[in-house]
Amino acid sequence: MTRPQGLRISFGHLALLAVICIAVIAYLLDARATSLKPNNLLLVQPAALLALVLIAMVIPQCFRRASPDTETDKPKETWGDLAKVGALIAAFISLALMLDVVGFDLATFGFMVVALFLCGERNWLLNLGYSAVFTVLLIYGYGAIIPFPFPLTVL
Amino acid sequence: MIDFGALDAAFALLSSSWTAWVFVLPGLIIGLFFGAMPGISITMAMAIFLPMTLYMDFLPAIIFLTAIYTGAGFGGSVPAVLMNIPGTSSALATTFDGYPMARQGRHNEALGLALTASVLGCLASYILLLVLIAPVSHVVLKMGPLELFVIAVWGLLLLGSLSGNSLPRGLLAGVFGVLLGTIGMNTAGFIRGTMGVPWLLDGIPTIPAMMGLLAASQLLGLINTSYLIEDEGLRKISMPKILSGVKMAVKEPKIIIRGTLIGVIVGSIPGVGSSISNLLSYSEAQRTSDDGESFGKGNPKGVIAAEAANSSSEGGAMATMLALGIPGGGATAILLAAFAMHNIVGGPSFIAQNKDIVYAIIFSNFAQAMLLFFVGLGFVYLAGYVVRVPLRFLIPSVLVVSVFGSYAIDGSASGPITLAVFSVLGWAMVRYDYPVAATVVGLLLGRLLEGNLLRSYQVSGGKLSYALERPGALFILALLVLSIVLSVISRARKKRRLSVRDAAES
Repeated sequence: MTRPQGLRISFGHLALLAVICIAVIAYLLDARATSLKPNNLLLVQPAALLALVLIAMVIPQCFRRASPDTETDKPKETWGDLAKVGALIAAFISLALMLDVVGFDLATFGFMVVALFLCGERNWLLNLGYSAVFTVLLIYGYGAIIPFPFPLTVL
Repeated sequence: MIDFGALDAAFALLSSSWTAWVFVLPGLIIGLFFGAMPGISITMAMAIFLPMTLYMDFLPAIIFLTAIYTGAGFGGSVPAVLMNIPGTSSALATTFDGYPMARQGRHNEALGLALTASVLGCLASYILLLVLIAPVSHVVLKMGPLELFVIAVWGLLLLGSLSGNSLPRGLLAGVFGVLLGTIGMNTAGFIRGTMGVPWLLDGIPTIPAMMGLLAASQLLGLINTSYLIEDEGLRKISMPKILSGVKMAVKEPKIIIRGTLIGVIVGSIPGVGSSISNLLSYSEAQRTSDDGESFGKGNPKGVIAAEAANSSSEGGAMATMLALGIPGGGATAILLAAFAMHNIVGGPSFIAQNKDIVYAIIFSNFAQAMLLFFVGLGFVYLAGYVVRVPLRFLIPSVLVVSVFGSYAIDGSASGPITLAVFSVLGWAMVRYDYPVAATVVGLLLGRLLEGNLLRSYQVSGGKLSYALERPGALFILALLVLSIVLSVISRARKKRRLSVRDAAES
């Protein structure tokens, strides 16, 4: 992340800007491909162009001269910390995608076990017990008040 | 303005029947419980219990539903303070200072502040409703698309106050939110940005997106922390501290009155309502406050302003519903459905012929607001225990509850998928100092903004001179410009004052 010459490049920030930029351009092109009529582009086109201008204004902020002040501004995250966040994000996305496939009960139980472990619970008995009880309570609790049935495999 | 004969009849109606009162307490508790559950909206809570009202008389039925409405209105602010999850979109501004207060160990005070501001805002709004129900109906009928567009732009310009340290990042977050908010089929029938996904035709589901951006993103970032409040001594649940929050709120009558006025006025406009009023009130409190720079970092005034406005919007929305028969949002639409179930048609004729019932509904709402204070005290005391739960249990549990809540909205995978995508986006935005709240506001306003701009364009035939024919829009525009000018002046003054103070200290 840090260059020896004192130029600090935030690659993560650049990646975020690239994602936003690609999303905005793709949306603008899709909107223009749908129709060029004002009824379609009245708000979308000016807003997309404004977003691109703002991205161009923010990009220089990804390149900063490193100074002792900025280095000590924020507590440093280790790669291990970031890996934990990444693993939790992966588990969370899997939960969202697997609910319909393996059922709410199995997906929830599986996510709870993995997430509790990632968050630091090393007592497996407590981990499995809490995950099981929480899953059952949530499925029957939410199931009683919402009008849609949950796809289930075991419960 | 007030019909005293009808007032007398309303008292007689309420005092002669115990059935009018028996449903108030259950309604409040149901509302608090449902409002505090992420993903379960006020509308859903009322919709679930709507069929039950079929077996009640008309007045108890409406009182029961309005009690749910009142309870859920405050319930949404409990997770907003404790977990940064606005239970409803109208509790968004409550998260700005409520959650930082909770992280600093001042969760007791924040909950006390929110409860008191809610109760006082709700009471004041019904007093205003009692007096103003007739004039409000005249004004609301004159609102056209241009006026609604200008109000939405006003809401959007609040992004300036939400932009944090970097203005371009704040504006980018807001404009990106607006663009995301316009995805799907617009009012002219054009379909954009759906990538062939059928459920995106109606646009990005806003509640899961909001939960992802604001709550799940924060939780993902907390994985390396042990407790929501790191200092063990500050984790205590304390009734005296909750009551000190109550006292703090009572000492800020100006913010409550201003929030109430904004709430009632904005709340009475159909389609706009409490989701914007809390932001307007928050930004006004920030602009006019001496310590405006500490807003967003745990300033109690931010919580008071947001809660006073969102709870008083209920009174405004009820005014439009009772006076015109136009529901301002989902909750009042359900009330109107309850009217229809009892063969009663809301609107001007209902008010003219049944003023006693209208006043009885208003009086029962006074009682509900007062009762909410005591029920709410017990509720927040119990809810406050969440800060004592280790984060290794809280993070996975709240993430899963958010997923269930997002599924509960329409019973499809669209909610959970939206939640997951936006939680990753929100986590990345928070990491690089983007105000995610600006994206949420943009997302909420995008559709409203485009729809009303389009209608104004169609009505005017593309002529700018049309704006001159709409004095209401010009008046709101003048207010908007005035608020921006005042905001710039007060920011400059504050900067000058701070630099003078810094110079004196050094």
